Amino acid sequence: MTGQSIVLAADVPFPPSVEDFYLPSILPWAEHDNYWFTKITALVWLSAALIIIFFLVSYRKPQLVPTKKQWFAESIYGFVRNNIAIEMIGPRGVNFAPYLTTLFCFILLNNFWGIVPFVQISPNSHIAFPAFLAVISYVMFIAVGVRQHGVVKYLKTALIPPAPWFILPLLIPIEFFSNFLVRPFSLAVRLFANMFAGHMLLLVFTLGGFAMLNANAWFAPFSVVSWVMTIALTFLEFLVICLQAYVFTVLTASYVQGALADEH
Amino acid sequence: MAGQEPSKNPRGDDADNPPDTGMGMTAVAYLISGMLVWGGIGWLVDRWVGTSGIFAGIGAVLGIGGGVYLIVRRLGV
Repeated sequence: MTGQSIVLAADVPFPPSVEDFYLPSILPWAEHDNYWFTKITALVWLSAALIIIFFLVSYRKPQLVPTKKQWFAESIYGFVRNNIAIEMIGPRGVNFAPYLTTLFCFILLNNFWGIVPFVQISPNSHIAFPAFLAVISYVMFIAVGVRQHGVVKYLKTALIPPAPWFILPLLIPIEFFSNFLVRPFSLAVRLFANMFAGHMLLLVFTLGGFAMLNANAWFAPFSVVSWVMTIALTFLEFLVICLQAYVFTVLTASYVQGALADEH
Repeated sequence: MAGQEPSKNPRGDDADNPPDTGMGMTAVAYLISGMLVWGGIGWLVDRWVGTSGIFAGIGAVLGIGGGVYLIVRRLGV
């Protein structure tokens, strides 16, 4: 009995670890520990393809009275344009609406893989993807600021707060650190950590149920509770997924707004 | 598009900040970076002078003071 349960428990790796995020290669001809094309890679390509195809198809023959698909696509674009781009940046926000919409859709869909049954891992739970998205936003808002003001004036607006001269040496390093170092870092880490923690949480509750069941058959009711919790947490994850896609987009818009603003 | 026109309000500098411009994030970033930057510089000074932490402490306090000042100047009315 004890031996059997150890064997059974060995089937369920508990507690889950970072190793669980490194999925094996899905290329049939590659070795198992070859990471060039994994489920994560496939999901990212799939997300990109789905977004492109969806928007192409829904805008193919635009109608004055929109079809259902067109209405959906226009709602997403309209939401990002009116409630994020224009609200944050002002009328010039329309110029940034396409980028922000793309960003929003891409993050949302990539996050969403985290709770799709049988897929259940989000590419954004690997730091590389959020980090690269953050780099794009970072380069963009600096470029926008430089184009708007010129290098010197942009740095002056970004780094020199309205304050008496003797306090500036104290403030400029803080401004530099928070505007140019913390921003991309926090963008990337916020998204990554939420997705990573979400996946970890679901793993803990799912595998925990099996681990308890394997440890002692009398724990079966607790296992059921654990699995019910998994389902409840999946709904919580849905909230986090939408929220993080929104937050990433809103913060990008807010940084662009900061780069465009004149000094006050 | 989705029946809503973009808002016609001009956004000059004297207009109010739009609601929820990520101001909370900015404020937290200022506080933390103030502490980290000047605490870090203080720590380096500590290493250089050979004291055990007095400058890091002073730096962190100064930094967080600077952070609060920046929040007031940049985000305040």
